[in-house]
Amino acid sequence: MSVEKEKALTLSLTGGFLTGDRFSSYLWIFPLLVGFSIWEAVTRSGLVPSSRLPTFSSVLVVFFMSIQSESFLLRIGHSFLNLACGLFLAFSLALPLAFVAGSRNRFDLTLTPIVMLFGALPDLSFLPLLVLWFGAGNLAAIIMASLAGFFPIYFTVRQGTKNIPRELFDVTAIFKSDRLSTFTKMVLPAISPHLFSGLRLAYDFAWEIIIAIEIATRVAGIGNFIDGNVASGSLQNGFAAIFAIAIVAIIVDRAFFGTLEAWTRKWA
Amino acid sequence: MDNHVELDNVSKFYDAGRRLHALHQVSFGVEEGEFVSIVGPSGCGKSTLLKIIAGLDKPTSGQVRFRGGAICGPHSKISLVFQAFGLFPWRTVLENVEYGLEMQKMSKEERRQLAEDYLGMVGLAGYEHMYPKQLSGGMRQRVGIARALAVEPEVILMDEAFSAIDEVTAEVLRDEVAEIHRKTGKTFVLVTHNLSEAIELADKVVVLSSRPAKVKKIMPISLDRPRDRTHTMFVHMHRDILHLLKEELENTFIRHRLKGISELQSIHDMEKGDNRDNQSAEKNQQRKNAVITT
Repeated sequence: MSVEKEKALTLSLTGGFLTGDRFSSYLWIFPLLVGFSIWEAVTRSGLVPSSRLPTFSSVLVVFFMSIQSESFLLRIGHSFLNLACGLFLAFSLALPLAFVAGSRNRFDLTLTPIVMLFGALPDLSFLPLLVLWFGAGNLAAIIMASLAGFFPIYFTVRQGTKNIPRELFDVTAIFKSDRLSTFTKMVLPAISPHLFSGLRLAYDFAWEIIIAIEIATRVAGIGNFIDGNVASGSLQNGFAAIFAIAIVAIIVDRAFFGTLEAWTRKWA
Repeated sequence: MDNHVELDNVSKFYDAGRRLHALHQVSFGVEEGEFVSIVGPSGCGKSTLLKIIAGLDKPTSGQVRFRGGAICGPHSKISLVFQAFGLFPWRTVLENVEYGLEMQKMSKEERRQLAEDYLGMVGLAGYEHMYPKQLSGGMRQRVGIARALAVEPEVILMDEAFSAIDEVTAEVLRDEVAEIHRKTGKTFVLVTHNLSEAIELADKVVVLSSRPAKVKKIMPISLDRPRDRTHTMFVHMHRDILHLLKEELENTFIRHRLKGISELQSIHDMEKGDNRDNQSAEKNQQRKNAVITT
């Protein structure tokens, strides 16, 4: 994937939050408001029965009540912790492997076709086996999340490493940099724009997987909470949970990825 | 006088399978404080030679000596200016110049001071906190030169250092490099394809033959500095070197043509001997086409 394509992808994933002037960076609020108004209108007018779609205002009320409840927050924390562990695992496995694949052709030819093969499989198809081996619990969820996060990190970092100009390796050699500082002071910053795109994709994929597992296997967490509430007819709670996930996703997106990407935009 | 840098029968082969012969027994010496330019037909192995002197590449046979000791890896007293500048885009101008000093574990204050001094020397005072992307090509190469100087080397190698810069800027930068050479008395080795540049800067020009590169001629340049490109002697030198290089290019061209013809002949003979085997005939046809297109 070229850097431009990745940038475009990142932009589309962030909805363009990170560009534009002060006013235009808040333009996205308007379609959201329009959407919520339509939602409120269709339920209130009786066009859609409230047993299928509760009003937006009632969801909002339940949402504000929920986020004051400890058990609700713990459920989100639980899912987020599984996600973070999975991503950390994916990162620590994919980064070194992808770096070696990007810099050693023979290793690349040995490993990458196999990674592609596994990457082409839908990750969730492994779920029944993981549940059989590790039980329907956190471990299965973490392994699944790391599986989902592995591929985007692997492929972006591998490409990023391949894109490092040979000359920069010569620069580190000429100035007698040791292996560790070559990696930390040259390779890591050089691949960072690719790495951040990979991490962002991995984060998105991992969220989907975590929720899917919680729904499928009843691992305690926010996905399981949505499933249970929707099944028992309390749609407001379900929607409130979805809102909460969205807000966590946006906060992490802006605070974590936003900061990282602001740094690369300074020089790249 | 002992040579500062000495190349002793340096040969280089690439790729054990195909045995691409890049350098063939290259020998010459560089005295301390001397400015040597290396020119040769394009693709002859000039840059390979410079990489070997820098310790970035190893010769297949022969050796490079620095102050009498064999070079077997980058040496702290030998620095390199890169063709595409080799700057780290995520580091500011100042941090780029500090890089070599940082690798030597110099303290932060000390290396900052040194880096600022050398940035001043190349005329970049005031640009310390800019990123490379904000600078023009000429300014980026100034950063590259400051970084090479900052580690206080005895020998500075330049790999086509002016060829990625526009002509007018390059002209100014060449004058400044000549001035740095005069003031510091350091040894310089410049690889270039620009003959005027080679003559203008050097005390001697090493002319390499086409691949595998051998030393074709070493021409001392004793013109007064600063040098005038329109001076009769300068023009003669330029013409002589150009003549040598043209000769080399023509040789290679004829050699390749002959090689191609003999290969076609051998394929033709093979076809005659065995033209019932369709597959091999097809393969031969492909080879024939390949030879013709090359």
